[in-house]
Amino acid sequence: MPVVRLIAATEGGLPTLGLPMGGVGLGSSTMTDDVVAEIALESAEERNLRFERDAMQYLDQLYGAAMRMTRNPTDAEDLVQETYMKAFAAFGSFTDGTNLKAWLFRILTNTYINIYRKKQRQPYLTGTDDLTDGQLHDAESHTPRGLRSAEAEALDRLADTDVVEALAAVPEDFRMAVYLADVEGFSYKEIAEIMETPVGTVMSRLHRGRKLLRELLEDYAIERGLIPAAVAADGGDES
Amino acid sequence: MSCGNPHATDCVEVLELVYGFLDGELDDADRARIVQHLDECSPCLRQYGLEQAVKSLVHRSCACEQAPDRLRIQIVTRIRQISITYRSSGPAD
Repeated sequence: MPVVRLIAATEGGLPTLGLPMGGVGLGSSTMTDDVVAEIALESAEERNLRFERDAMQYLDQLYGAAMRMTRNPTDAEDLVQETYMKAFAAFGSFTDGTNLKAWLFRILTNTYINIYRKKQRQPYLTGTDDLTDGQLHDAESHTPRGLRSAEAEALDRLADTDVVEALAAVPEDFRMAVYLADVEGFSYKEIAEIMETPVGTVMSRLHRGRKLLRELLEDYAIERGLIPAAVAADGGDES
Repeated sequence: MSCGNPHATDCVEVLELVYGFLDGELDDADRARIVQHLDECSPCLRQYGLEQAVKSLVHRSCACEQAPDRLRIQIVTRIRQISITYRSSGPAD
């Protein structure tokens, strides 16, 4: 079957990912005989078109995530391009019908970790899960300050640029967990697979990331005069 | 910590589960417990409203990112080039 060899040759010609590419955990990787036969019969051109049709639709979403990771458009473009090249090279091992979006996000995350994170050599990225809650506001209890619906409304009036800026200030692992959940709507299980971490860690990252983000947003809202500092402190409930 | 009123489910537990509730990750029994609690506890309801506001704010602010057209063109061009290269050089044996 020359087509199968062709695919194998393509994979050999490009850098491979340091992760199992068969969709492990991201859905069933069991191929039926029919699917195998179909892929074997698929010409390079057909496979190319299938990739373009199925994978290119996530370009904007992958770019958005890459922007949150790299925080600059040039690196985001490079990262997305590299992600697509790796995905294309490994596409032969991807089972049609499984979670392509999560698979692509996982390649994106791995590419980022392997290339950009090493390049940046930023130690702040590691060990964030081990931070104590000590420096974080205890938002899990009802504080005397209280939280009013007016505050939620004030946050809602924040400009998108403020929110993007606040999110960029959240440590990376927390930021990406929040991004994957809130923007892309991935389940905890999917995020765990994309970030290659236990579900419990995902929940903890979401918890801490959201707490930090909320505090940052409250600061922005006060700074912008959307929450008067004096009113925010007295716990009143006027709207 | 509690709002001072008796509830079938404690406030601390509700606030632990509030993210799972927002993210659609709870089973029916836990969802029902949270809904019941939020109906009768306004401090928790306010906290929930705030978390909900932050979640939708992140979605609103980040969801409309558009990749530049040239990026799409570059990627598709490279993919097609790879395919042509391998097709013209023939399958590797």
